[in-house]
Amino acid sequence: MRSSAAVLAIVVAVVVAPGAAAQDSVFGIRGLGFLDRSVSAKSAALGGGFALFDPASALNPAALAAWHATSGWAVASGSNRSFDTGAGTSSLSATRFPLIGFAGVIGSRVVVAVTASDYLDRNWSVQQTNTDTLRGSPVAVTDNTRSLGGVTDVRVAMAYRFTGLTFGVGLHVLTGSTETTVNRQFPNDSSYLPFAEQQATAYSGAGISFGALANPLHGLVVGASVRFNGRLRAASPDTAASFPMPVEWNAGAYYQPVAGVTFTGSVGYAGWGRAAAALVADSQVPSRGVWNVGFGVEAVVLHLGRAPLPLRLGYRWRQLPFPIWGSPLSEHAVTGGLGFDTAGGRATVDLGLESGSRAAGGLSEGFVTAYLGLTIHP
Amino acid sequence: MSAWRSAVVIALAAIAGCREQLTTPGRCPALCPSSKVQLADTLLATADVADTSVRGYVLVREASYLLTSTLDSLQSVALIRFSARDSVWYPSTSDTAYIGTQDSVVLSLQILQRDTSIKQLRLLVYRIPAMFDTGATYASIQPFFVASNLVDTIAIADTAHAGDYTFRIADSLAIPPADSGVVSFGLALLGAGKTALTLGSGNLGTSAPILSYYVHPRLPDTTAKVISVEPFISLFVMSPPPGQPPPGVLAIGGMPTARATLRLSLPKVVVDSNTVVRATLLLNTSAAAGGFARDSFYIIAQPVVRDYGVKSVLWSDSGVSGTVLIHQGQSGPVALDMAPILRFWGTTVGDSTPRLVVLRVYPEGSILGSASFAGRAAGAAGPQLQVTYVKPYTFGVP
Repeated sequence: MRSSAAVLAIVVAVVVAPGAAAQDSVFGIRGLGFLDRSVSAKSAALGGGFALFDPASALNPAALAAWHATSGWAVASGSNRSFDTGAGTSSLSATRFPLIGFAGVIGSRVVVAVTASDYLDRNWSVQQTNTDTLRGSPVAVTDNTRSLGGVTDVRVAMAYRFTGLTFGVGLHVLTGSTETTVNRQFPNDSSYLPFAEQQATAYSGAGISFGALANPLHGLVVGASVRFNGRLRAASPDTAASFPMPVEWNAGAYYQPVAGVTFTGSVGYAGWGRAAAALVADSQVPSRGVWNVGFGVEAVVLHLGRAPLPLRLGYRWRQLPFPIWGSPLSEHAVTGGLGFDTAGGRATVDLGLESGSRAAGGLSEGFVTAYLGLTIHP
Repeated sequence: MSAWRSAVVIALAAIAGCREQLTTPGRCPALCPSSKVQLADTLLATADVADTSVRGYVLVREASYLLTSTLDSLQSVALIRFSARDSVWYPSTSDTAYIGTQDSVVLSLQILQRDTSIKQLRLLVYRIPAMFDTGATYASIQPFFVASNLVDTIAIADTAHAGDYTFRIADSLAIPPADSGVVSFGLALLGAGKTALTLGSGNLGTSAPILSYYVHPRLPDTTAKVISVEPFISLFVMSPPPGQPPPGVLAIGGMPTARATLRLSLPKVVVDSNTVVRATLLLNTSAAAGGFARDSFYIIAQPVVRDYGVKSVLWSDSGVSGTVLIHQGQSGPVALDMAPILRFWGTTVGDSTPRLVVLRVYPEGSILGSASFAGRAAGAAGPQLQVTYVKPYTFGVP
């Protein structure tokens, strides 16, 4: 009954979530948007280092082999941000629903899954105030430009288990849309009517990913994945453009020296430099290839009754592909969390928390993001 | 333990409840959109390609006021015809009372406007032929405004402003049998100086003139019954009589009311449901605005839905209009807001409507004020349209 209450709470949180993006950033205004991380709450708590081995994350299709029964999972996140312009600070917040998936087991070796996760976030809103000279007189104007939406990665993937070795393949479809609205108001002069206009942009693209996990030594699992993306096409009623998307490489290790203690780490590279020429042709700053590193540790040092309560800590750092007016953008965060089983082992709740910052030039944005993940094995 | 888990989850779910604050102050150029809102301003000196003005949209008998005036520029008296009062009333559902005697008659009037600087106002109430000619002129009605027809003189207190006033005008009111109970009055104004005063007309509902008869039944009874009668006709006649506006003049208001119609020729860029942020019709008065001293009134511009000449149908949505406040005696340039109309013409509904705009006083038929403007024949002094609009905004992709 109480487990039902927990599930209900999560469902409520999911239903009221206004959008589908993992984490917003004011820096999403540049380039193709803010690069999302398709990780579960557990992987987020471990600094992303576990994502390569996490069946609930959408990074490595081979990791799906960890499912041994039909499973469904979802992640909700809420973030608070503080954007420092150098001249002042503004507080921002958002609630999102960044990842959902469903997996089924076929026989004893094959797992198939469908996931939907955020890939590029394009949620941002900018307000500018200025004074324009109209009809010979200065008139105060306020411009609001707002973008809502982004690009979602829908993956259909399969994993195959050998003894000590697992392979996986995933087909990716990039889809989604944004609605950009520009609004001008004249706050001090009612003789001027406000102006508003909006445009919808649809996105489409495709990709394929491969992954493998191997168990070379007792307690050690190593993994790698690669993802090849085609071009991302962006089309509005008036114009269209396409951008080459990167090849993404990831590799990592998972080590469990003793029962109840695990170390995970991964490193990745995404060749976003491929999109540079197309962005320059679109009058934007060129993108760059970016690295990411994450690692974490999980230890079962507490129990709630007879159930283990793993505690997680991690750290992650990554570069972001779209510079801010010539300044490279990167972010880092310390992470933590815990997880527990409930509903007689049919459900797992994971909680994650990140605290970090991202900076480019003299601009910085601090963030605290809470993750809530629910996995159900009906 | 399960309760603890549930509490954590519910708390987190609550934290993750719907919160959204995305807006940041723009820090340009690093974190501002690449496109900017750009405004353009243009003066369309020849936008008015045809104009006309016609008087007679609201007739004197349809006005909501009765004008009495002794001004040199305008003299006016009010004429009111009351229908016959009932000869019986019904104290209860099973009883009928026949009227025997009448002990007094009271005339109730509502003053709408007066010039309080002129003192010692009096309304002279004259009996005029019950079935007076509704096409009467100021000159033709004058023979009845003589001392022998005077019923009463109503003194209006110098402190009286707009409001209801009741006057006992006669102990009795003999009505010749030939008039079948119908009685008509003429009201003329007198004062310490030349002035004007308006009263609510029979078209003004609860503010209409009322003639109240205090009567008694045939049977001995001390209880007086009040039987009230509203006007069957109420109007006023003026000297000089109003005529059609002269050519080249855009007359608006007055009584009967006049409207001006302008046909505009506009470039496509300034007809848009969204991008026009300000549009101003620039007019120049050809004479000082009329009306009560120190009074003001509105002129409203409305688009035409169907062009039937002087009987064109106006778009009645108040949101698709522009107004300007005019003060009595005002002269010189006048700026009338036209942005809602240009935006309307840019909508799917408005696109098929003619580019015609009608100027009239508002509310029409309730205002004494009038204005006249130079038409397009006046050249540079004629109507011009100034439009401020947003240049096409480039969103771009992504």
